Amino acid sequence: MVNLTIDGKQVTVPKTYTIYEAAREAGIDIPVLCYAKKLLPFGACRVCLVEVEQMKGRLIPSCTTPVTEGMVVTTTSEEIRKVRKTVLEFLLVNHVVECPVCDKGGECELQDLTYEYEVVTNRFVGEKFHYPTDENNPFIERNMNRCVLCGRCVRVCDEIVAHGSYSFVERGFETKIATAFDRGLHCEFCGQCVSLCPVGALLPRPFKFKARPWQLKEVDTVCGYCGNGCTLTLGVKDNQVQTIRFNDKNGVNDGNLCIRGRFGYSYVNSDQRLTRPLVRKGGELVETSWDEALEAVANGLKDSKGAGIITGARLTNEEFFLLKRLADAAGVTSLDHSGGECYKVLTEGVKDVLGLTASTGTFPQVETADVILSIRSDFYETHPVFGMVVNQAVKRHEAKLLVLADKKGKFTKLPNAETLLTRPGLEVDVLNAMCVALLEGGKARTEGVSGIDEFKQAMAEFAPARVAERTGVSAEAIVAAAERLAEAQKGAILLGYGLPYTPASRELGLAAANLALLAGLADQEEAGLYVCGEKANSQGAIDLGVLPKEDGLGAQAMLAAAAEGKLGSLYIIGEDPLTTYPDGDRVEKALANAGFVVVQDLFLSPTAAKADVVLPAASFAEKDGTFTNAERRIQRVRPGITSPGEARTDYAIFGALLEKLGAQAPAGPAEVFGELCAGLADYPQIGLDEIGPQGVVWGGEKLAPKTRNLVAVGGGKSAEGRFLLTTGSSLYHSGSTTTHADGPLAAVPEPYVELGREDAAELGIKDGDSVTVKAGGVDLKLKAKVGARLPKGLLFAPSHFAGTGLNRVFRGEAVVAAEVAKG
Amino acid sequence: MIKEFIQGLSITFKHLLPGHSTTVQYPKVKLQPSERFRGLHRLVPTQDREKCVACYLCPTVCPAKCITVESAENEKGEKYPKVYQIDLLRCIFCGYCVEACPVEAIEMTGNYELANYHRDDFVFDKQRLLNTK
Repeated sequence: MVNLTIDGKQVTVPKTYTIYEAAREAGIDIPVLCYAKKLLPFGACRVCLVEVEQMKGRLIPSCTTPVTEGMVVTTTSEEIRKVRKTVLEFLLVNHVVECPVCDKGGECELQDLTYEYEVVTNRFVGEKFHYPTDENNPFIERNMNRCVLCGRCVRVCDEIVAHGSYSFVERGFETKIATAFDRGLHCEFCGQCVSLCPVGALLPRPFKFKARPWQLKEVDTVCGYCGNGCTLTLGVKDNQVQTIRFNDKNGVNDGNLCIRGRFGYSYVNSDQRLTRPLVRKGGELVETSWDEALEAVANGLKDSKGAGIITGARLTNEEFFLLKRLADAAGVTSLDHSGGECYKVLTEGVKDVLGLTASTGTFPQVETADVILSIRSDFYETHPVFGMVVNQAVKRHEAKLLVLADKKGKFTKLPNAETLLTRPGLEVDVLNAMCVALLEGGKARTEGVSGIDEFKQAMAEFAPARVAERTGVSAEAIVAAAERLAEAQKGAILLGYGLPYTPASRELGLAAANLALLAGLADQEEAGLYVCGEKANSQGAIDLGVLPKEDGLGAQAMLAAAAEGKLGSLYIIGEDPLTTYPDGDRVEKALANAGFVVVQDLFLSPTAAKADVVLPAASFAEKDGTFTNAERRIQRVRPGITSPGEARTDYAIFGALLEKLGAQAPAGPAEVFGELCAGLADYPQIGLDEIGPQGVVWGGEKLAPKTRNLVAVGGGKSAEGRFLLTTGSSLYHSGSTTTHADGPLAAVPEPYVELGREDAAELGIKDGDSVTVKAGGVDLKLKAKVGARLPKGLLFAPSHFAGTGLNRVFRGEAVVAAEVAKG
Repeated sequence: MIKEFIQGLSITFKHLLPGHSTTVQYPKVKLQPSERFRGLHRLVPTQDREKCVACYLCPTVCPAKCITVESAENEKGEKYPKVYQIDLLRCIFCGYCVEACPVEAIEMTGNYELANYHRDDFVFDKQRLLNTK
C-alpha cells in the first residue's frame, strides 16, 4: 500500500494504482477522455493532467502515472484548468461540431467537458475533417469526422475482443482510426467499440436518429440469449426497446456484450409477435379468448393417455417453479427441458464424478488462470462474452490456451493458443487419453479419488498412442496438454453446451469431469470446470429440477411416445422442436400423432403452426424474476416494456392454469422466489429485492466437489466418408430466437454450409454459391461459405434456421457422412 | 378635501375627451405587435426542406411539454423531423423553444389570433407550422 495526498486528502491505495484510480477511490473527479476502466492505460488525450509536487515544472497525465509514496497531487488549479481548456480547444479544431444531428449529443464526453470548461470560443483555426462515413455494415456507423483519436476502440478491439479491427493510420494531422486498408468494418459486430467511444464517431446504426439519450428509460435486466447472464440495460421509449445502453457497473460482464446482446434485441419489438391466443377450429388456427384457450389446455393436461410438458430453458426461475407446481397439480410426471437432452445429460455426467451439476468457479476467476482448456472451438460462438474473458486471460495474463476441437476458430488464433485438431465427434477420446496419460505418467492427483483401478482397466483402449491414430491428434500433444493442465496453479476447463451439440453429452460431461479431477482442477481455490448451458437459464432449469419424475418420460422419450400415439397431449413452452431438436422427422410425427398439442411461444414457429392451441408468451424484456447463469449467478430480470396485445408472461399463464386446475395461484415473483429458495439447499435464503446489481452466486465463488469418483467413459463416434458434416452454433445466432431479430439476421441472413478453402477450391465452389449437401438421405439446399476454419473434408452447418431440414439429417449423431455438389 | 376630489376627477374627465381614448376598434382595427412579441410559432423552411434537424432540444426544454418531435433519416441520410407538432392548448408562449434551437429553425410570429372551434385545430403539425407567415 502507498500513502499519498490528493487535493489535501490522505489516500492509501495499492501500489499498482495510477493517480487517476487513486483519485477516483478518494471520490475526486479528474476528467478523462481516453481512459476506460477495463483497458490498459494509454495516455492519449491529455485531459487528465494534474500537478505533482515532486515533479514540478510540467503537468503529469494522471491516468498513466503510477502512485508513489508521499506523492502530493493537485487535481485542479487555475493553471490546470487553462491547460485542459487548451487541450479541448485543440480537439475542437478538427472535430465537426454537429451536436444537433449527432446521436451522442447528451451523453458525449467531449460535449460534457466542453461545457464544464466553458470552451465557447476557439483561439485556433484549422481544417475540419471531411472523411466519408463508413456505412458498409448494418450495425456500426463510423463517422471519423467526429473522432478525437482517444484510441479506446483500437484498444478494446485488441485487448478484450481480440479481433483487432482498428488501428491508427497516418501521422500528425492526418492521423485517423481505420480498418484494414480502410475498407470498412468486417468483424464480429459485438459493438464494444461503440459502447466505449466517448464521442459520436462510432454509433449503433439500428438506433440512428431514434431518440435522445435523456429520453430513454433505463431498465437493468439480464440478456435472454445465452448462459452468460450478461447485464443488459434496456433503453426504453414509447414501450419499445430502442437500444441497449452501456453499463459496466452491474453484473459480471463488465459492460462487454456480443452482437446478440447488443444488436439482437429487436425481436422483442417485432410485429410478428403473437398477440392473441389461437385455437384450431376446422383445421385452421383462429384467434380466441384467453379463457377458452386456457380451458382447452387445462383439459388437455388431464388427458387420460397422459401428458408431457417440454419447456425451453429461457424461462425465469420463478416460472420453472410454477411449471413444476403446475405439473404436480395436473398429475403430469413427464416434465423435461432442452429436448436434445444435452446440457441436462452433461450435468448428470459431471454429477457422477464430482457430485455437482454446475460450474465450480465464476467467470472473473478465469481471467487470471494460467492454463485454459476449451473443449470445442465453438465455445466462443456459444458464449462470446465468457470468450472475451478468455481473450483477456491469454492476452493480458499470458495464460496458455489449449483448444480441443474439430475445427479452428476464434480461440485458435489467439497468441499462446495450441489447437488439438481432432477428427469430428472424437473429443471424448482425446479427453480420455489425457486422463490416461496423467495416470500413466504419475502426474495425476489421486488422493481421495475413488475408482482409479477400475478406471485404469476400463480405459486401456484410450492409451494416447492409440487415440492418436483414431483422432489425428499426436500422442505427444495429448500428453503435453494433459501435463500442462495438471501442472497449472489455476487451470480451467471450459465446456459450452447447447442443442446442436447433443450427441455424447453424458460422455463429454464424464470425461471433462474426470480430467478436472485428475488434473487437480476440482480442488483449486479458484476456477476449475465450467459447464455452460446454451440458454439464459439452462442452469436454473437444472438447479430447480425441471426434470421427469421417476415414472415420467424425458423429452426424447416423450416425443418417441407421442410419435407412436401413446401420449395424449404435449405442452411445449418456449421451444421450437421442429427446428432445433435432433431427429426432426420424429418430432413431426410426434406433433401429428399426439392427441393434443399446445405451444406457448413468442412467434408462430413451425412447431406452433402445427399446434391445436397456441398461447402468446412474453419475452425476457417483459418479465420480472431471476435467471441463473452458467457460473451460478442469480440475477434480476426486470420488465422494461409491456407485452404486445394480449400476450402474457409465462408466469401469468402458469398462474391462470393453476387456477383452472383448482390449485392455489401464486402471489408475486418475490413470494415465489422465497419459496423456491427455501426448497433448494444450495440457493441463498434471501429475498428478491436483496439481489444486488452484481447478483448472488449460489454455493459461493468456489464450489467444492462433493464426490471424487472416476467413472470410465466410452469413446465418441465419428463417421467415414469424403466429407463429414457437423452442426453447431454460429456466433451471430443463439437458438432459433435470433432468427426473428434484425441484428443477427443482418449478419447471417440465411442458413449456410461452411467448407474449408481446400475443399472449396477442389469442388470449384466460391463463397456465396448455392450448393446441395446430401446427407442421411436428405438433400439440403444451402449457401456456401468458404473459410479458413475448417480442415479438409469437414463441413459445418449452423443449426439455427427453420426449414433447412438440418435436424432431419442429425438423429443423435455428432457427425454424418455427406456429399457436396454445386447447384 | 373637495379640492383634491376635483383635482383627481379632472384627470379622469380629461381622458374621456376625444383623442385620449386607448381603446382599439378590434377587429376592424388591429394593432401591430412589437418585434419581440411571442405569438404563433413558425418553422423556418430552407430550399428543399425544413431547417429543423430534429435535435430534440425544444421538446426537452418546453415547460408545458407541448412539442412532439420524431426524428428520422431522409433519403440523403440527413436527420429530419418526421413529426413536428405543437399543441397550442398546452403552449404557454414562453419562447424557450426559440431560445433553445441551435439552428434557428423555429421562430415566433406576431400572429395572436388563435381562437378556434375544435380542439384538434389547435394542434399545429409540421406543414401548418411551415406555412405560418
